[in-house]
Amino acid sequence: MTALRRHRKLTAIWASEPGWKGWTSSVNHSDLGRMFLVTAFFFFLVGGILAMLIRAQLATPHSAFVDAGAFAQFFTMHGTIMMFLFAIPTFEGLAIYLLPKMLGTRDLAFPRLTAYGYWCYAFGGSMLLIALVLGIAPDGGWFMYPPLTGPLHSPGINTDFWLIGITFVEISAICAAVELTVSILKYRAPGMSLDKMPIFAWYALVTALMILTGFPPLILGSVLLEVERAFGWPFFQADLGGDSLLWQHLFWLFGHPEVYIIFLPAAGVISTIIPVMARTTLLGYGWIVASAVALAFLSFGLWVHHMFTTGIPLMGLAFFSAASTLVAVPTGVQVFAWIGTLWKGRPELHLPMLHILGFFFTFVIGGLTGVMVAVVPFDWQAHDTAFITAHLHYVLFGGFVFPILAGIYYWLPLFTGRKRFFRLGEMAFGLIFVGFHGTFLAMHWVGLMGQRRRIETHDAETGWGVINLISSISSFVMAIGLAMVLVDVLIHAFVAVPGGRNPWKAGTLEWASMSPPPAYNFASLPHVVSRDPFHADPGLPNRLAKGEGYLGDPKASRRETLTVDIATGRPDFMVIYPGNTRLPIVMAAVTGLFFVSILLKLFWLTPLALAGVAALALVWVWRLGAQVDAGPQDAGRGANLPLAGETTKSPGWWGSIFLLAANGTFFGSLLFGYAFLWTVAPGWPPAEWLTPSLAELGIGIAAALSAALAIRFAIRSNCRSARPMTGLVAAFGATVIAILTFAMLLSRVPPPDGHAYAATLCVLCAYALAHALLVSLMLSFAIARILRGYTSAARAAELHIVSLWTDYLAAITILSLLAAHLPGMLA
Amino acid sequence: MKDILRLLLPLLAWLASFSAIYGLHGIGCGLCWPEISYQDVSLVRFALLSAWFAAIFMQVALLFALHMDRFKAVSVFMQWTSIATGWVGLVAVFWTLYPVAVIAACGTYG
Ligand code: HEM
Ligand SMILES: [Cu+2]
Repeated sequence: MTALRRHRKLTAIWASEPGWKGWTSSVNHSDLGRMFLVTAFFFFLVGGILAMLIRAQLATPHSAFVDAGAFAQFFTMHGTIMMFLFAIPTFEGLAIYLLPKMLGTRDLAFPRLTAYGYWCYAFGGSMLLIALVLGIAPDGGWFMYPPLTGPLHSPGINTDFWLIGITFVEISAICAAVELTVSILKYRAPGMSLDKMPIFAWYALVTALMILTGFPPLILGSVLLEVERAFGWPFFQADLGGDSLLWQHLFWLFGHPEVYIIFLPAAGVISTIIPVMARTTLLGYGWIVASAVALAFLSFGLWVHHMFTTGIPLMGLAFFSAASTLVAVPTGVQVFAWIGTLWKGRPELHLPMLHILGFFFTFVIGGLTGVMVAVVPFDWQAHDTAFITAHLHYVLFGGFVFPILAGIYYWLPLFTGRKRFFRLGEMAFGLIFVGFHGTFLAMHWVGLMGQRRRIETHDAETGWGVINLISSISSFVMAIGLAMVLVDVLIHAFVAVPGGRNPWKAGTLEWASMSPPPAYNFASLPHVVSRDPFHADPGLPNRLAKGEGYLGDPKASRRETLTVDIATGRPDFMVIYPGNTRLPIVMAAVTGLFFVSILLKLFWLTPLALAGVAALALVWVWRLGAQVDAGPQDAGRGANLPLAGETTKSPGWWGSIFLLAANGTFFGSLLFGYAFLWTVAPGWPPAEWLTPSLAELGIGIAAALSAALAIRFAIRSNCRSARPMTGLVAAFGATVIAILTFAMLLSRVPPPDGHAYAATLCVLCAYALAHALLVSLMLSFAIARILRGYTSAARAAELHIVSLWTDYLAAITILSLLAAHLPGMLA
Repeated sequence: MKDILRLLLPLLAWLASFSAIYGLHGIGCGLCWPEISYQDVSLVRFALLSAWFAAIFMQVALLFALHMDRFKAVSVFMQWTSIATGWVGLVAVFWTLYPVAVIAACGTYG
């Protein structure tokens, strides 16, 4: 087969539908990555316009540009949009677009999930935009502290838009994180062992794991606050046993790691670009990996430094202050590795490098003011002043926007296949740099002079007037610079001249296919032997195009790729992807219906929407799998690999593991909230505990444990080619008993609107009940699959997935039943 | 997956010991341990200090295990990086829990 014929054949197999239809049905990671990026930058624009409005209002004393109510919506929406709708999705988009290309594979682990995540993001973000346009946007500040945002002080719908819209968007973050984790661990070119992964993949892996453990506390907090607002269950109201500090803990348990979730991908971009610009290799690859992992962990121990002024115990201050200083060490290691890399090479000052210099300068200052506020007495002084706002922009703009601009300019030739011919970008950089520092240096200054953040106006007598004016003018200079970047990118995408392959002479695999890359990325997959495969073998692109790698023989309309062993990179299974489908967008729309039903209090719609999601999910999974054993497949280069469905640890199994990790964090946060209220909140103990019942406790635990055991039994018999039916039916029966136990328990809990104890207990039971229902659904699915012949001794992947979820159910059943009954027993 | 676990284990242990000691402090203060003391060392202080030593010991043990032939990673890169995170775990336990073990007192709040 010639290279051209192979290209045509592969394109026919992998291409999205033409025209607008392709937008809604594409499951291709390049399309979806681009869609993510474009949408994220659209939100950056909206957030930027809001920032301009804020600065216009603050430019002069007694300005009457907007009123206090509108101003509150502006700063709330600005912060919210920048953090949730711009920064995180930009990372997701970049990673979704680039990773398969860098890792030398054809798509991400779960293409339809990528699409579902995108649509959840688009729909959730639109909800917030609609609120903004209608003038009913959230106005409680981006961290939404109750009691200000509780039902008593914010009765309107504004806050609900935030809680519901953001939860919807978080679903997309969780999807992307599961997807990226599994893809990086399993979907790589053969031979790419962990130490040969491009450094960006390491950063993306760490970031994805952080999203999985960082976002669930916020999701939990939003759910609790929304339930409090919708049904009056008092989680955060002190007079009814709640505590508004619980929200602060849940929020910052997410919020601090979030800063690193934003910074780490940017650091990944920097670590990728610097060696290329310096014409050398990255200094201290292992050091960087270790410090990225360390940074991720340490950042989880810092959240309380946002709460230094809330009157938490001395011990909290001491611990979190120490942890905050410690986190500077791994950051420093990375910065030194970058400087060392520049030192060792011969840096060239291309445009991406300018932005990286902008990053260095800005981020270091942000880090220094960060150390200042980590010192408790200083923080007491500077808390909630413009100084803090200035510090956070030095970190976020310096640590995210500059690196991302560097990344955009670095990968633009790959995205478009063209080369720049104006020098617009250099001028834009100058304006952004000068404008940025003008804006925020000034804000440090007024902050130290006592100007609080989030005030909509100030008096002439304060002497802040001139400084604020300088800040506002500078911010407009920055805005012009950013607009020029936009123009530059548009020119590049549509009118610039075509450029050659690999303009920067980089060594990573994304440059080894055409620019822009075809839908299938690689005509055949390389065998990787070095960290810079392209440098090791400059002839690689041609040989891949000629089909000399793996999977060079496209088979009738099958989208094929292969997975590897995590540590060694030895190929282990062949994967066949589903094709284009509109299922993800439909499912996201029905998920949206669920959220809208709560937002508009159309509670009759809620169960319908949930049933819709469940039905679509069944269709989603039913379409996978086969009714005959296919046996080992020829993957080229002498590799014979079984299909991913004919194993115990399929991609779906890996996906479940990481989804359960996020789910477990959610449950853990719930238990934390329970313990926190119990020990810290005023108004405890409640008037009455749940009447403990040994029978309920025993039956529930026994049922959940037997379900987990019965599944194991089913798997054992399936493995010996016997019928697994008995075990599965037994497991199903046991799960039904667990459902009944929780339903029973739920009916006995004291009224949840009376005290935070009962409210928490209800949430705990509802959570367990929902999981029991889910597992019963999965078991019925497994039974149906067996009846239809989708399962055999080899095709056992689905049973193992169901078994994971049943185990999880057993764990949460035991814990939540104990949490429900123990207090009553001890009292 | 085992390699990834090796990389994460020391830091997971740090997170766990941090939560445990935090919880211990809460329990201790809740049960009036500060009033029980022997030769000027109160029971809370004693409990916190021993927990801190135990956590340090655990990190040292982990670090040893990561060096041992039975537990260490196969690839040199993973051996090296997991030992690096092992050191991070040790330093983190020492540095971040030091103030808690040595100076923390029971606050008036809550
Ligand atoms: C494009 C240039 C930007 C400008 C001119 C700007 C301007 C501002 C201003 C003036 C405030 C303070 C509002 C007040 O004190 O009442 C603010 C708040 C904030 N900004 Fe920005 N910003 C920019 C970019 C960003 C970016 C890129 C991010 C994050 C990735 C971000 C995140 C935030 C957050 C979280 C707040 C706090 C909101 C709150 O207090 O509720 N900003 N911004
Ligand atoms: Cu923080």
